[in-house]
Amino acid sequence: MTITTAPLHPLFAAEVSGINTTRPLSAETLAAIEAAIERYAVLVFRDQRLTDDQQLAFSQSFGELEFTGGTGISKPGEQRLHPAFADVSNIGTDNTLLARDNRRRLYSLGNMYWHSDSSFKPVPAKYSILSGRMVAERGGETEFADMRAAYDALDDATKAEINDLVCEHSLIHSRELMGFGELTEAERSSMQPVRQVLVRTHPDGRKSLYLGSHIGLIIGWPVPEARAFLRDLTEHATQRAFVYAHHWRPYDLVMWDNRVTMHRVRRYDNNKPRDMRRTTVAGITPTVAQAAE
Amino acid sequence: MAMTIQPVQSDFVGEVSGIDLTRSLSRDDVAAIESGMDRYAVLVFHDQPLTDEQQCAFSRNFGELEVTLIGQLSKPEERRLGDRLELGDISNLDARNQVRARDDEKRMYALANRLWHSDASFRAHGAGYTLLHARIVPGKGGNTEFADMRAAYDALDDATKAEIEDLVCVHSIVFSREQIGFAVRDDGNADKLRPVQHRLVSRHPVTGRTSLYLASHIGGVVGWPTPEARAFIRDLMEHATQPRFVYAHAWRTHDLVMWDNRTTMHRARRFDDLREVRDMRRTSIKGTGVSAMPVPAAAA
Repeated sequence: MTITTAPLHPLFAAEVSGINTTRPLSAETLAAIEAAIERYAVLVFRDQRLTDDQQLAFSQSFGELEFTGGTGISKPGEQRLHPAFADVSNIGTDNTLLARDNRRRLYSLGNMYWHSDSSFKPVPAKYSILSGRMVAERGGETEFADMRAAYDALDDATKAEINDLVCEHSLIHSRELMGFGELTEAERSSMQPVRQVLVRTHPDGRKSLYLGSHIGLIIGWPVPEARAFLRDLTEHATQRAFVYAHHWRPYDLVMWDNRVTMHRVRRYDNNKPRDMRRTTVAGITPTVAQAAE
Repeated sequence: MAMTIQPVQSDFVGEVSGIDLTRSLSRDDVAAIESGMDRYAVLVFHDQPLTDEQQCAFSRNFGELEVTLIGQLSKPEERRLGDRLELGDISNLDARNQVRARDDEKRMYALANRLWHSDASFRAHGAGYTLLHARIVPGKGGNTEFADMRAAYDALDDATKAEIEDLVCVHSIVFSREQIGFAVRDDGNADKLRPVQHRLVSRHPVTGRTSLYLASHIGGVVGWPTPEARAFIRDLMEHATQPRFVYAHAWRTHDLVMWDNRTTMHRARRFDDLREVRDMRRTSIKGTGVSAMPVPAAAA
């Protein structure tokens, strides 16, 4: 099977055609997808009518999957989907829409802030693979920002200043920022901060910014100074020139590299179902040694 | 020489020339400046070597001066500019004229000025005009950026305009500081720190023009779950501060910039504040035009 890619943005993101992700793929095809994501960071596959099992199989061909159970506020038994899925929907286990003040809904509003998946884990995610089963008619776009282009566009003084900075990421911070409210003791203890470098260097030598709403501080900096600085950097990194907005069609499958992008969801009408299912390919190595306990 | 105003962007920011603000102004001059403010929302006056006294005198042409909150919260020995509480010290200097240390509390507090805001929106009446005078400017950075909340409102789609028309936001100085990880201690000043409510959509008392009344001091929308409110306000802030609505002022010594807090937001940009000095003096006119609804002490 040959694949073709058509760029969706001047800097990154491409639509891939000639692939049926519901069926097992050859080593050659997988290599072609990996080469494409290496180059474009975000890949869009149209009309992929995947079942959950097929999405799992497709995702597993790129590596070990993350299990989302045990992160955030989801508890075993309260999940609608297999534990390897992040349920990015507004639908409850009883298949009805989550109420406006539903805790899981409010928690998921954190996805409206720019982030990189699982940056709060010691080994953060590699790829995310999101399947649009029921998409919003209006709004609900997923926006992606190219952190390689964002890094490249910094001036030399800033590049030098940030080169060795290490940040602390935690869900506690991003939930605080959004005013989520009280977390339980168990939730807090599952959200212990982890360290990540601010500038990632990739095997091909390219560098990218590693930002996101989970960052609460920069090691060695006064917190307010770090936060004001990170806001400026995030604003720089998410300026429109670096952003691709994905308008979902039903059964779009979008795959992105969390190591070189940030993303966020835009607002949509909570009175209509939006059913998106995410699988996450785990990363392999930490970005930096964690602090000694 | 007659005063003239040169627009910087078609209807936003005017550069004023032909006027000496160190001298007392005629009624006509004051009226001309006010009408310039109504049109441009931000006015820039270059080469005005004002003393503190002259800045206060010029400012009083436009109404009663506001006493700054930070002034009220500070002890006399901490004030670099003496007991003139209506003069805000927007500098990185301490009472001994030394550059503040990296972890200095006042520095932490002031870092929130790098978030978009409208002065004193955390007070029941907000602020009308603010006047900021540059005494010492850094060699690099330290711009002040202004965003036009009238244009930002106009550019919203009709559905959003309808949705926000009657929304009321909760503003608090404690919230904007919390966002950057600085806890404001109340030290017996709880009454001055209590959240206030303002309508999100406001109409200018003179021109009738509609604006967004936004600020990083907003921590909630009345009747909305907090996370939903904050995400929505963030989206609106991002819309309202996109480059086409923003003017960046690169300061020269003795610039005086005056802006209308009811129709603009502003923020300071970073500079090397541990090595360079930036000394600005601020006066603010008490707000009159913002519809305010203080939160009752026992708020629901």
